Amino acid sequence: MNWLVPTPVVLPLIGAGVSILVGRSRLAQRVVGITVLSLLVAVAAVLVVVVDRDGPVVVEAGGWAAPMGITLIADRLAAVLVLVAEVTMLAVLIYAIGEPRTERNHVGFQSAYLVLAAGVAASFLTGDLFNLFVAFEMMLTASYVLLTLGGRHDQVRSGMTYIVISLIASTLFVTALALLYSATGTVNMAQLAQRIAELPNGVQTAFAVLLLVVFGIKAAIFPLFFWLPDSYPTAPSPITAVFAGILTKVGVYAIIRTQLVLFPDGARPATLLLATAAVTMVVGVLGALAQDDLKRILSFTIVSQIGYMVMGLGFFTTAGVAAVVYSLVHHIVVKTALFLIGGVIDHTSGTSRLSEVGDLVRTAPRLAAMFLIAALSLAGIPPLSGFISKYALVDAGVAAHHLPVVAVSLVVSLLTLFSMIRIWSAVFWSPAEQSAGDAGVRRPPAGSAPLAMMLPTVALVACSIAVAVAAGPIYAFSQRTARDLLDPSSYITAVTRP
Amino acid sequence: MTVTLAGVAAVLFGVGSYLLLQRTLSRIIIGLGLLTHGANILLITAGRRGRPALVGRGDPGTFADPLPQALALTAIVITFGVTSLLLALAYRSWLLTRDDEVQDDVIDRAVARHDAVEEEIADQRELVASEEAG
Amino acid sequence: MIAVLVIFAVIGVGLLAFGSRLGRGAFVVGALPPLAATVWVGGQLAGVTSGRAVEEHVGWVGGLRLAADLRLDGLAATMSLIVAGVGVLIFVYSAGYFSRDTPDLGRLAGLLVLFAGAMLVVVQADHALLLYTGWELTSITSYLLIGTDHTDRRARAAALHALLITGAGGLALLGGLVILGHEAGTYRLSEIIQHPPPASAAMIGALILVLVGAFTKSAQYPFHAWLPGAMAAPTPVSAYLHSATMVKAGVFLVARLAPAFAASGFWRPLVLTVGSATLVFGGLRALRQHDLKLLLAFGTVSQLGLLMVLVGAGTPASATAGWMLLVAHAAFKAALFMVVGMLDRYTGTRDIRHLPALGGGWRAVEIVSLAAAASMAGVPLGAGFVAKELAYGALHGGGFPGSGFVLLVAVAGSMLTAAYAVRFHWGAFVAPRRRATSAILAETPPFGFVAPSMFLAVSGVVLGVIPGVADGVAAASLSGFQTSAPVHLAFWHGFGVPLSLSLLALTGGAVLAVSDRIVQPLLAKGSVFPSGGEVFLALLRGLGAAAARVTAVVQSGSLPVYAGVILTTAAVVPATALVGAGDWPGWPQFGGAAEAPIAVALVITAVGATVVPRRFAAALFLGTTGYAMAGLFVLSGAPDLALTQAAIETLSTVVFVLVLRRLPDQFEVRDRPAWRVIPIAIALTVAATVFVFALVAAGYRIAPSVSTEMVARAVPDGHGQNVVNVILVDFRGWDTLGEISVLAVASIGAVALTRVGRRAAEAAGKPVGLRTDVVRRLPFVDVVVRVVFHVVLMTSLWLLFAGHNQPGGGFVGGLLAGSAITLRYIAGGIDEMRARSRFRPWTVLGVGVLLAAATAFVPVLVGADALTVGVATVNLPLVGTAKMSSALVFDTGVYLAVVGMVMMVYEAFGDEPVEAAP
Repeated sequence: MNWLVPTPVVLPLIGAGVSILVGRSRLAQRVVGITVLSLLVAVAAVLVVVVDRDGPVVVEAGGWAAPMGITLIADRLAAVLVLVAEVTMLAVLIYAIGEPRTERNHVGFQSAYLVLAAGVAASFLTGDLFNLFVAFEMMLTASYVLLTLGGRHDQVRSGMTYIVISLIASTLFVTALALLYSATGTVNMAQLAQRIAELPNGVQTAFAVLLLVVFGIKAAIFPLFFWLPDSYPTAPSPITAVFAGILTKVGVYAIIRTQLVLFPDGARPATLLLATAAVTMVVGVLGALAQDDLKRILSFTIVSQIGYMVMGLGFFTTAGVAAVVYSLVHHIVVKTALFLIGGVIDHTSGTSRLSEVGDLVRTAPRLAAMFLIAALSLAGIPPLSGFISKYALVDAGVAAHHLPVVAVSLVVSLLTLFSMIRIWSAVFWSPAEQSAGDAGVRRPPAGSAPLAMMLPTVALVACSIAVAVAAGPIYAFSQRTARDLLDPSSYITAVTRP
Repeated sequence: MTVTLAGVAAVLFGVGSYLLLQRTLSRIIIGLGLLTHGANILLITAGRRGRPALVGRGDPGTFADPLPQALALTAIVITFGVTSLLLALAYRSWLLTRDDEVQDDVIDRAVARHDAVEEEIADQRELVASEEAG
Repeated sequence: MIAVLVIFAVIGVGLLAFGSRLGRGAFVVGALPPLAATVWVGGQLAGVTSGRAVEEHVGWVGGLRLAADLRLDGLAATMSLIVAGVGVLIFVYSAGYFSRDTPDLGRLAGLLVLFAGAMLVVVQADHALLLYTGWELTSITSYLLIGTDHTDRRARAAALHALLITGAGGLALLGGLVILGHEAGTYRLSEIIQHPPPASAAMIGALILVLVGAFTKSAQYPFHAWLPGAMAAPTPVSAYLHSATMVKAGVFLVARLAPAFAASGFWRPLVLTVGSATLVFGGLRALRQHDLKLLLAFGTVSQLGLLMVLVGAGTPASATAGWMLLVAHAAFKAALFMVVGMLDRYTGTRDIRHLPALGGGWRAVEIVSLAAAASMAGVPLGAGFVAKELAYGALHGGGFPGSGFVLLVAVAGSMLTAAYAVRFHWGAFVAPRRRATSAILAETPPFGFVAPSMFLAVSGVVLGVIPGVADGVAAASLSGFQTSAPVHLAFWHGFGVPLSLSLLALTGGAVLAVSDRIVQPLLAKGSVFPSGGEVFLALLRGLGAAAARVTAVVQSGSLPVYAGVILTTAAVVPATALVGAGDWPGWPQFGGAAEAPIAVALVITAVGATVVPRRFAAALFLGTTGYAMAGLFVLSGAPDLALTQAAIETLSTVVFVLVLRRLPDQFEVRDRPAWRVIPIAIALTVAATVFVFALVAAGYRIAPSVSTEMVARAVPDGHGQNVVNVILVDFRGWDTLGEISVLAVASIGAVALTRVGRRAAEAAGKPVGLRTDVVRRLPFVDVVVRVVFHVVLMTSLWLLFAGHNQPGGGFVGGLLAGSAITLRYIAGGIDEMRARSRFRPWTVLGVGVLLAAATAFVPVLVGADALTVGVATVNLPLVGTAKMSSALVFDTGVYLAVVGMVMMVYEAFGDEPVEAAP
């Protein structure tokens, strides 16, 4: 079963290579891209089953045992995230092929997209902290390219912000790695866990918060998220969808992984996490209320949702972490779906400004239904997946006696509902009114969206419903995952093989 | 790690950070370059320094720690790739605006100018007023 | 039970999807689920009244104790019958109310069905969170129904108002229920009520939160403001949701919990105060209305207050009265709304000042109105009268502190009720006839349109005359009380306090109604209660202001600010932890003399790059820093690193120059000096943290580096003497694989960005720029370049193959080849390069990536770990036997990728740009 682990990384890279070579034939590129991602969905599904049945699958790249070589390890968390990521990326790729202003922008799109897929998978699967840096760079560099492909003025502007901030984060990451190596002489996570434990407590905490900052920038927590709402909305809709759904979650994943595996209980900055979570939730949702653009509203709600996950982690209880795992799955699916719907709105009516779109409930009732499901799910309305995620977090918080932050999260979920309803009311209910002001910004409305855009959107909304229907088994899986995470010994022994 | 090199790294980080806080992209890029150099110093001084790690050329006990070197090499190459992409961005920005200054986000500025949920508030005011009257 | 609910879901969704075709037929289809539910519940009544509650359980999320537990006891059955029964009538009525050509009737019917289903979930749920689920779904469906006429701004506003208020209450409820669940150890409502958890701070908090939820849903003062607004919905919706069913959810929840918790100290004061206030406030407001629908809306608010008082008081007697009023109110209020709907539909107005006189055909409607209004006012023979009697009796009977006061409020409230009941009927039917001016409306509603209201009115009278029929259900509805006395409902309670109070209330009401001229000005002047709407508005304003301010501060949109915040956080937070630690490993040794010159060079060049005002100078300083770094690497025993650094520094300096030749020569520095202080401060903070952290980290190093093992195994297992290279291509080849993919994608991005629109321009035949020779072409330069080019290329290949044992390898080789290409470019310009090189950059890049990735994947295919190195001894001519390891193939892939990358870079920056429209 060892082939399962490297495949999600190597296969897309091969695909990327081929895609570069066949650059002259758009069709060949598409075949390659869709085939690769479909295969990966299957592989990831098998991986989840295997890992859940037999425990973590460890692969030593080049056959060099840890800590010499780079260890790839698929535990439950990694496996399930790879699966969800591949599914969403496949859906978005099809959507992007249908969307006239994305994939057709440049022959490089497909190869960049595949490298992104490889980078995401590599980040989830690696057991080596420096290799995590490399995986991040694969993912990020691809994201820079996808964000700026097309070279429109606003893309360039926000591209600068995005790339520079990400580069700062990367440099901080290298710095952290250098300091960690300097103190421990290794970059293998399992071995780091053992050696960090021997450092004085203060130094441990210093490393913990340093890594929290490094990954917090990617995960977009307060006060490190400012770049996100400026850059994401300017990308083509499908790209924004992938970024929103997956990239921030990779950051959250890295936070979970490092905080739980590398650092002993005493060194974890629990209070800092909870405080950050509260502020992130509030500031994010307030930002969403202040916006008038669909994509920007959604981008700000990403931030506040990240706050929820950080809160769950901050409890450092099985229930809390399990809730986070479930939330990750829920949020990747629903948020991507919402952005795809936003893309359809943008495509059909030529703009995503609330004040300029309108009356879609009449012209596009199916789309309205899909938006309502996804939006209410995000707002945590039962019985949708968002409610289960919200309730799981609240339940964990009450159990852990962290009532204040729980109260904050409840208020924020009301405001989230408000922000979603604003979109509903403006886009679907209110009659369309043309603001003559910036007619230049507005593209001619396309009227209807191609099937290649609608099908993936429907599929993802269906997935979000499935995540709620199958919440029983999914949450049980999350609980098993949480138990593994909170007791890293199994992870460590799986890698070090004493 | 020696105090001297720690100092040099600190200086590189300092000036790098200073340049990062400028508005012209080329200065920012230079800042990132310096920052990376600083990080690389930390990296190679994170392990023992000594003679080149070429097996058969001297006693392995005197070798410099090769792992940080490999890591640094990887980091350097990656940074080069990304930097060239960033330069391409500066180039594009010059094509569009004849400058490589990083402009502020216009929409953020616009949002900052007016109040949030104004329309909703207006509607509610109307509603409540009509009830008070009725 | 589940089956019935599923019917609602299926038919509801079905109507939403396909109902539009059915027209008014949608209401016929929609009537089926409530009909089924009525029949089913009716079938269970016998069992339920004899105390056997029907239960069903379906698991959902075991790990979270979420499950679909349903339980049909007396109270649930009563509410179910109201929800389903009134539901059927509403659907029949709607078929008459809406004209054939109204759009989206299917959607409306579907939403009504879904609402009815959700409401049944609320009343039949035995799991607290299932109840919450139904609760929220009713809020959402209500929101969508209020906004039925969504092109009207007022309708949208009203819908939003309702959603925010009930939504806020819903979250309070959720919080309360979760705490309750934790305190009680179960989410089963029946168990919680049987064995209520001991009083504690948590319990008090939980119950208050739950009550807040109930108050918002049942439009209690000061949360009531959404209910009058909700009248923007079509009248059938108002009749159903906003008088008969949804607004009763709060009352229902309180009735459920009261038996267990009414005794706890804070409960009664809170519930009774809020209820009484609502009762009086609603009544006063109702008296002021001219719009019949608004009159009824405020009347509902008032009645909900009385209901809250009765069920909240939590004595069996008061609960019985509450139960009776619940049923009676559903009957008469729904009937009255239907009457308003008919008037509105045929006269086009609901204003008692403009209604025309009605023809003889309206007699039936008038009788319905009379009967229902009488019942509302509490006139004998109406169900309302029985309820009032029971209420007065219960409150007079007392059983809890403050019952006397509440009794007075109840009587006062009933006076107001009687008054606005008169105002309603008089204003709707009698006054217009008196008005000489008003025309007579001949058109009359068809029987099918009137029938539902008739049925309700009649059933009200029946219940008023022989209430005894309901004894069983009423008794069963009190099952929550440990001590349940046998209930006997009667029309006649004999002469006594209750009767006299009833008469007092009626006469008082009549007086109020007659002396309208005196009352109105008083009401207009002395509106004693501040309205909740104002409070809500203020909160909303605050929210808007907060959102705007916070966002304006946080989201400045300026990169320097963002970078500053991030750098500061990254420096300060870890530093705090470090300093907080306190322990200090002690000073490490200072650097040797050898380091000094390099250190000085680095500092000088770095600072130089920062202070010079010209772009070129800054770039060259940066380049020099790079070479100084290379020097440092040499000193540190890292030749590969030094080579790479040098090669890369050359390349990136060239690229930098290529870009800078476009950009203005000088940096513009606009910031006022004051602003430059902040960056300097941040820079110093960062530097300080790095300095300290670096020394501390190094100071605590105890364990040996993992690389000692690598050195040991480089030759035997890695087949190479150059450990660094063995690490790169073998031990950590996985990193390298990722690394070259980064190079590939970055160069693709660079080309994409720099050549936007070029293809289009070329297609359009526009000139895409002139040949650029950085050096003027001279024959001998040309010759030299060619020679050197090939030499350098050879050397690069040698480095590639030798790299495994001497310094070198794929990267260094590739980069060297890159500099060869650089030479070519400098000599000949991009066109020369294109002309001379047989390979397209894309091809080289693609082959490189493919080669490396494939080498990584092949072992996987043969069952080994990815990237496992295979070694084969091959016999080469001339060279003799040589060890070929797959690492070399991998390294070749790296080499090609790097070369391709460099070619791409020149592809990107080499050309003259196509002018792009900004």
